[in-house]
Amino acid sequence: MSAVRDAIGGRSAFVGGLALLAAALLVFLVADVPGSDLVTVGAMERALQAATPIALAAIGGLYAEKSGVFNIGLEGFMIFGALFGAVTAWTASGGDGVGQADLWFGVLVATLVCGLLAALFAVLLIRYEADQIVAGLAVWFIGLGFGPFISTVVWGGVSSPSLPNIDNVVVPVLSEVPIAGRLFFDASPLVMFTVLLAVGAWVVLFRTRYGYWVQAAGENPEALDTAGVDVNRVRYATLVFSGLMAGLGGAVLSIGIGSGFTGTGVTMVDGRGWIAIVAYLFGNYNPLGTYGASLLFGAMDMLQIQLQTVGISLPGSITGLFPYVAVLVVLVVVGYTRVPAAVGEPYAKED
Amino acid sequence: MSDAGASHVRAALDRIVDRMLRASVLERIVIAIVSTTLALVIGAGIVALSGYDAVEFVYSLVYGAVGELSNVAFTLRQSTMLILAGVAVAVAFRAGVLNIGVQGQFVVGGFAATLAILFLTPLLPANTVAGVVLMVVAGGAAVAAGGAYGALPGLMKAYAGANEVITTIMLNFIASGVVYFLLDAYLRPPGAAAPNTESFPDYVDLPGFAFGSPSFSVIGFGIALVTVAVVYVYMTQTGSGYDLVTSGYQEPAAKYSGVDPNRMIVRTMTLSGMIAGLAGALFAVMILGYYSDPNTFPTFGFDAIAVSLLAANNPLGVIPAGLLFGGLDAGGQYIGFTLDVPSELVDGVIGLIVLFVAAPELFRAAGRYTGLGGDAG
Repeated sequence: MSAVRDAIGGRSAFVGGLALLAAALLVFLVADVPGSDLVTVGAMERALQAATPIALAAIGGLYAEKSGVFNIGLEGFMIFGALFGAVTAWTASGGDGVGQADLWFGVLVATLVCGLLAALFAVLLIRYEADQIVAGLAVWFIGLGFGPFISTVVWGGVSSPSLPNIDNVVVPVLSEVPIAGRLFFDASPLVMFTVLLAVGAWVVLFRTRYGYWVQAAGENPEALDTAGVDVNRVRYATLVFSGLMAGLGGAVLSIGIGSGFTGTGVTMVDGRGWIAIVAYLFGNYNPLGTYGASLLFGAMDMLQIQLQTVGISLPGSITGLFPYVAVLVVLVVVGYTRVPAAVGEPYAKED
Repeated sequence: MSDAGASHVRAALDRIVDRMLRASVLERIVIAIVSTTLALVIGAGIVALSGYDAVEFVYSLVYGAVGELSNVAFTLRQSTMLILAGVAVAVAFRAGVLNIGVQGQFVVGGFAATLAILFLTPLLPANTVAGVVLMVVAGGAAVAAGGAYGALPGLMKAYAGANEVITTIMLNFIASGVVYFLLDAYLRPPGAAAPNTESFPDYVDLPGFAFGSPSFSVIGFGIALVTVAVVYVYMTQTGSGYDLVTSGYQEPAAKYSGVDPNRMIVRTMTLSGMIAGLAGALFAVMILGYYSDPNTFPTFGFDAIAVSLLAANNPLGVIPAGLLFGGLDAGGQYIGFTLDVPSELVDGVIGLIVLFVAAPELFRAAGRYTGLGGDAG
């Protein structure tokens, strides 16, 4: 019963919070109150872009964890997505003049490759009962090593040359609508896609039979098994989905809205996979809440530019830390989220 | 039952437990060796696929690690750092706290040591005694700072339920960013091109002895070994250390015996951070001789996770695992210079080792399939 109460309490608080946020943003945009310089349509556009890779990885990770498997390897899969997106697009173009078709092909291949890698990862976690946290960390390390390695083999350096990115799609008429027109109808199709994905993920998770299977696999696998559904098949499916989405998120970062792969330091993914995990925890395992949380972290990421435009100049090494600090604040304030009951436990059918 | 009977049963139980423990230690060693070999084979395969010579790759890897005295010195230097950082990880993992933030605690510790040296040097005479004093103070500052920076995510986990894997990773990013900012803004000598502090005075350095390498000292290696010994004794021979380990593995039992699990988490993280801080001081004094942008530092704190896992989080096991990884690291850098094979490859191989170590069931299944070891006997 307390789970039901949590869900109801969580939802009304969430809807209230969302309404409050939208109202606050509108006031900042329209009225001339202190701080309103920080909220511009351009800033919101940048925040949406920055939120997109995080939200994609987060929604995938949410499904995996809902089904009882903690995919802590999101960061690693994102690195591979970013790398393979850039490598594929560059190779497909033959090395000069990367076109739109090459970029879309790159995004597709990166997504599929990461889905495949996640399937292998799933075999280790589910069939061979690997430690989920340690194996997930290993995926990150493998990405940190082989990402720049492959980049060096292909381009002779840990980063790719500068690449173009996917063009905005302008929807006639709708793009003329003030504010929303520029945010959603004259924007990267990947930004649009991610918003739709969040809504779709919500519908599937809470309104379809398959969604209930996912939830049951994480909360009460024995019951699901008794009902004749193969728990591990559900978990394989969600893990592959999380790999596909993290790969897509990585590709979005490098060639969807970015300008190529960067492999210096901890690569261009730079903690976004870890932030994605916090985004779905903060979103209380709700895809819409997760999108909202991703937007918050995306806005934090872009705050630097906004602060500069209003004349507050902080060094980049400090403003770059805002998303990480936000994550800490979120984790401490929200603190304990109710993790699905069977997360981390391999499910062995008793026969 | 008589006392004699009870002690007899007890002795029999002890023998069984003893044998099980030994079997599992042996199994872990086998898993560690097989994981490393498998990862290296995959690495060599990738090298061949990328159009390099795989045999030469393996040869150079070994030569780079132990082929010449200077290579051995480099291996031992990397091993020193990996053993220290590895023990820091092992302490936490043993107690069930997943401290992924050793890199950050290491960065903060090294920075504290640097501050202590740079601020106290003008106040002391320029001689060897002052050098020793400075190094001891720097070590103390590093241990304190690393411990505090480790305690922070410990408090967040114990009293706010914040997942330590994520908080410590965030704190790694924050440590590097803030230290870089402070260094760049306040400690960079005017006109210097690189974001480095001034060099430490000559007398603040550990002597090289037999190896004659400016960045490796047998004393540093000794400090790492002594730390391992102290941690081992603490965890196996003292009540406080025992509480730490049981609260990680048997929380209900620990609670029953009156151990506060929240305090154990904070204590574990503090201890782990202190050791990581010491590693930072050694890095600043023995290897660098100044301090620099932490974003360019080797990722000892991450590789240490692999070291600790390979050692099954046993402090003593960290020594061979650290030596192995030190060799891999040295060999990897050597192939980077000589074969033009990107040294990042070795990082990927280390990742593969971690992946395999995380899945012992994989090897048990392989053992059953081939009829070797395990259940076949």
